[in-house]
Amino acid sequence: MILDRLGPPLESLIHRLAETPREFLDEPRIQGRGQVAVAALAHDLMVRLGQTPSPEFLARFEGRGAAERNRLSLTAVMIWLLSDDWFIEHAELAMDLPGLLTDTAASLAEATSAERYTSDPDRREELARTSLTAFGCHPAGETPQQAVDRLTAVSGAERRRLLQASREAEERARAVREALVRKAAQESADKWSRE
Amino acid sequence: MVARVSKEPDDAERYPTLTDAGRQMLRRLVEHDAAPIFRNQSGNRLLAEDLPALNEFERDVLASPLEWSPGATPRWLMDVLARAHAEIPYYRSLGPAPQRFEDVIPISRADLAADIARFVPDHVPVDRLINFQTTGTTDHPLLVPSHPVVAARYIAFHKRALNRFGVKLSHGAGQVGVILLGCQRRCFTYVSVTPTMDESGFAKINLDPGDWRDPDDRARYINAMDPEMIAGDPISFQALLDLPVTVRPRALLSVAMMLADGLHKRLQERFGCPVLDIYSMNEVGPIGVYDAQAGGHVLLQPRLYVEILDASGQPVPMGERGEICVSGGFNFCLPLIRYRTGDTAALSTYRGELVLVDLSARRPIRFRTDSGAWLNNIDVSHALKHLPLARFGLHQGADGALTLKLPPDGAPHAGTALAALQELFGASRIALASITTDDKILQYETELPGGLVE
Repeated sequence: MILDRLGPPLESLIHRLAETPREFLDEPRIQGRGQVAVAALAHDLMVRLGQTPSPEFLARFEGRGAAERNRLSLTAVMIWLLSDDWFIEHAELAMDLPGLLTDTAASLAEATSAERYTSDPDRREELARTSLTAFGCHPAGETPQQAVDRLTAVSGAERRRLLQASREAEERARAVREALVRKAAQESADKWSRE
Repeated sequence: MVARVSKEPDDAERYPTLTDAGRQMLRRLVEHDAAPIFRNQSGNRLLAEDLPALNEFERDVLASPLEWSPGATPRWLMDVLARAHAEIPYYRSLGPAPQRFEDVIPISRADLAADIARFVPDHVPVDRLINFQTTGTTDHPLLVPSHPVVAARYIAFHKRALNRFGVKLSHGAGQVGVILLGCQRRCFTYVSVTPTMDESGFAKINLDPGDWRDPDDRARYINAMDPEMIAGDPISFQALLDLPVTVRPRALLSVAMMLADGLHKRLQERFGCPVLDIYSMNEVGPIGVYDAQAGGHVLLQPRLYVEILDASGQPVPMGERGEICVSGGFNFCLPLIRYRTGDTAALSTYRGELVLVDLSARRPIRFRTDSGAWLNNIDVSHALKHLPLARFGLHQGADGALTLKLPPDGAPHAGTALAALQELFGASRIALASITTDDKILQYETELPGGLVE
């Protein structure tokens, strides 16, 4: 990870995330539902940053099912962040933008809700730093190494929390599955009808 | 690794509140001279502390109108949605609850089949979980998570349906309340007592002659038990019509498959009592009861929100046909949000009540074996359920010829599936065909006279 370019002060990005307009957190459009057309937002941002997204690439923001809801919501939040004047003025650094809006967004969305990336201070910091990293920048007032260390710390803590939550969820699901196939569960209980 | 041993349940678990009178009832049901071979064991599993809440639940269900009207999302439903996103792993993984109910993306049986454990709320203790297995007529069997209290709550909705036809059940101690009929080669049969009805008797029996020492015992047993109500499905009721039973139950309750008008009329004439056609599914319980005056199935659950959706999952206007989609319900082990049932109907109103009109659900199909015996379609589901087939179909032509239909990805299992069916039917030849349509749900089909129960 090389972050040798100077970015904006981190506080300005964190503040922008805290001020994310409610509209960006409305339902993303999936299967004809929802208000936020994430594909259109992505298109507009990429054009502003001097890129020409293909229809195939934009199709990745259409959403095919409920499982993609959080990823698309987070992408909308990222688009709000990346619409900050500093990013627009440094469009030439946005080489990793497609990956940031897709793979990175998907990875971050697995950790927690899009809403938390705007409301929780640690998550705001993680998203701001991750976005700057995609532009190869470190925040103003930090050295590149400090920026790398801080991103590792802030995202590492979240990964550990996620891992623990995931373990607990899997343990619970296993307990439910086992309970459902117990002899007693199979015997079931009286109903006056069988469907 | 320590092997987990599934402990064999005992009567104390099956009937925790059993009294001497209840024990006597169980003996009467099992030890009668004409009793069938009861192949399984089950029970009410209700604890003493469950009973007051069940009685209160029943009072509420019998007294409450539906707590919603079409087009206006009720507040309680938004609460159900918010709780689902907070307490149920599947919904939690989708992020916070949508602000508008219409933004919820519907789910289907395939979502449940992928891992139904993720649909059980965090707060549900696993130690009293039970399952209801749906073989369906269609795809993979599903273990629906449930609870003894949920199973006991069915009674409230059945009573609500019965009240509509002027029937108030009165059975109690020393009486057999309900006999539930099956008619399958393989059928789960057992006896129990109903604690909320003063330990009245309950028996699930199989009318297939193979479960009786003498086929004539079937009528003798039913006559001797003299149940206040008989429940079953169209196939078992048709078998009942062939028996010399003389009982006069207060009502017949038909569930599981569509009850054709012809069979409905014959049953009513023969038994001289209301014949209720209940639309019900394991996932959400009783949904509606057919009322000819209302022109369809009148909805039964005050807190089950019913929508009709088009193919793209959007609600259709009142009166238009589409897929029935349900939310809420009384199974606290499986609160469903916008669950597409696979059945179709239109939603209408009749004198202020909501009615499912032109319901198209599972049709009762029988298949004839080479020896001339009839098989319930459930037997076919049983025979194939061990195979990893996402879907399959079975067609019987007017000449009795059978065709098994499999999707392309089912081809590797064709040999095993055909062998299982050949054994079941005693048939030497069963043709194989491909499923080429996108149908998610495959009905069994027959062109054989008598195959469609009506």
